[in-house]
Amino acid sequence: MEILDRYLQAVKRHLPWLRQDDILAELRANLEAQLEDKEAELGRKLTDAEIETWLKQLGSPLQVAARYRPQQYLIGPAVFPIYWFVLRLALGWCAVIYAIARTVEIVANGHGPDAFLSAVAQMPWVLFMTAAVVTLVFAVVERSGAKIPEKFAAGAALGNDWQQGIKSPFDAQLDERRKPRTYAQAVIEVIFEWLALVWLLLVPHYPYLLFGPGAWYLRSLPYQLAPVCWTIYWCIVALNVVDLSWHIVDLLQHRWQGSRRAQHLVKSALGLIPLLVVLAAPGRVLVELKNPADTVHAATLAQINNGVYRAFEVITAIVILQLLWAIGRTSVEAYRKRLAAAR
Amino acid sequence: MTLADNLFENLRLELRRGCLTLAVLAQLRQEHYGYTLRKSLAARGMEIDENTLYPLLRRLEAQGLLTSEWREEDKRNKRFYLLSSDGQEIFTRLLKEWNDINTAITNLL
Repeated sequence: MEILDRYLQAVKRHLPWLRQDDILAELRANLEAQLEDKEAELGRKLTDAEIETWLKQLGSPLQVAARYRPQQYLIGPAVFPIYWFVLRLALGWCAVIYAIARTVEIVANGHGPDAFLSAVAQMPWVLFMTAAVVTLVFAVVERSGAKIPEKFAAGAALGNDWQQGIKSPFDAQLDERRKPRTYAQAVIEVIFEWLALVWLLLVPHYPYLLFGPGAWYLRSLPYQLAPVCWTIYWCIVALNVVDLSWHIVDLLQHRWQGSRRAQHLVKSALGLIPLLVVLAAPGRVLVELKNPADTVHAATLAQINNGVYRAFEVITAIVILQLLWAIGRTSVEAYRKRLAAAR
Repeated sequence: MTLADNLFENLRLELRRGCLTLAVLAQLRQEHYGYTLRKSLAARGMEIDENTLYPLLRRLEAQGLLTSEWREEDKRNKRFYLLSSDGQEIFTRLLKEWNDINTAITNLL
């Protein structure tokens, strides 16, 4: 029995913490009954060596305990097809963006073949990190969503839009409004928002990610962005962080199918902040001269600032009108629902 | 083990996996604890390894298909399992599915 006790203690170490005493008591009862049967068959007690052989046949304590664990995989079979689809998409885009970005950088800075070799050597690491992040996101999704079977049905809906080809664009638009977001759509949205945020954070260091080859040309101009543009930039980054966090929280709390009208309203209102920062720019200056003593370009600079400022005034007015329209429509709908409920 | 043997073993395990649940549910229309259940299944030609059966009982109970209670028998505490009402309903449906598959395979052969 001492050997059996030692075996069971070894199993206990690997059992799920909350249920280990209960599982162990049951396992002990079953194994002791089995041992008694064996001894009754033989008409004698089993020797220690025989018990040891029998326990070895049962399997190592780690293997025995592992069977009682609820989840043995990082990404389950229901989520795996979506994971695989997103992983291939992310790796493909990552490779393309990395190749373009590094090529432009090398050509623009006039670096030699060594820089090309270095960029190629770094590529596997970049791809590996992308794969790791996507895998981590899906592992978290798998863990957090393990208790809600509806997500499997929602996830399976990915790629089920093949029937839209026989409908008019108007029908497709109506369907889009009516149907709740699927789990797969919500996950893909979060991943792309994360990639967009990374892209946004990289833009100041690699302007060609935003302007393409034009970044090279912009560098040669006598103008540069005024300090207020950094405030605007960080406002935009903050808005993206808020958006991403909001969607992650929605995913973790299983609220991805809920109405997003309130979210849209709040986001539209927050979206006004960078525009108001632009309009409050000191002296309406958004672009300044690299060399303040440059009198040749001063007149052109004033025209540029005036034009850009006017453009932002128009954009702000449009955004405010859109926001007011959305608030009005939401209020009318809420009022209509309340009336219907009262009847 | 040759490649063909290995392939056969994998396919055999895959084929058996669903049948084990059906066999356990069928046998638990009468109350059993783990070891006697294993013996009674083996006596009817359905050998199940301990490491498969005992965790399976736990899973089926967590899914609400079995009920269980600790009780003393032969001066030893044992956990007895029995098919629940939900389990009975699922078992009936699974059995129909099993019979349909069996009929279909027989027709194919």
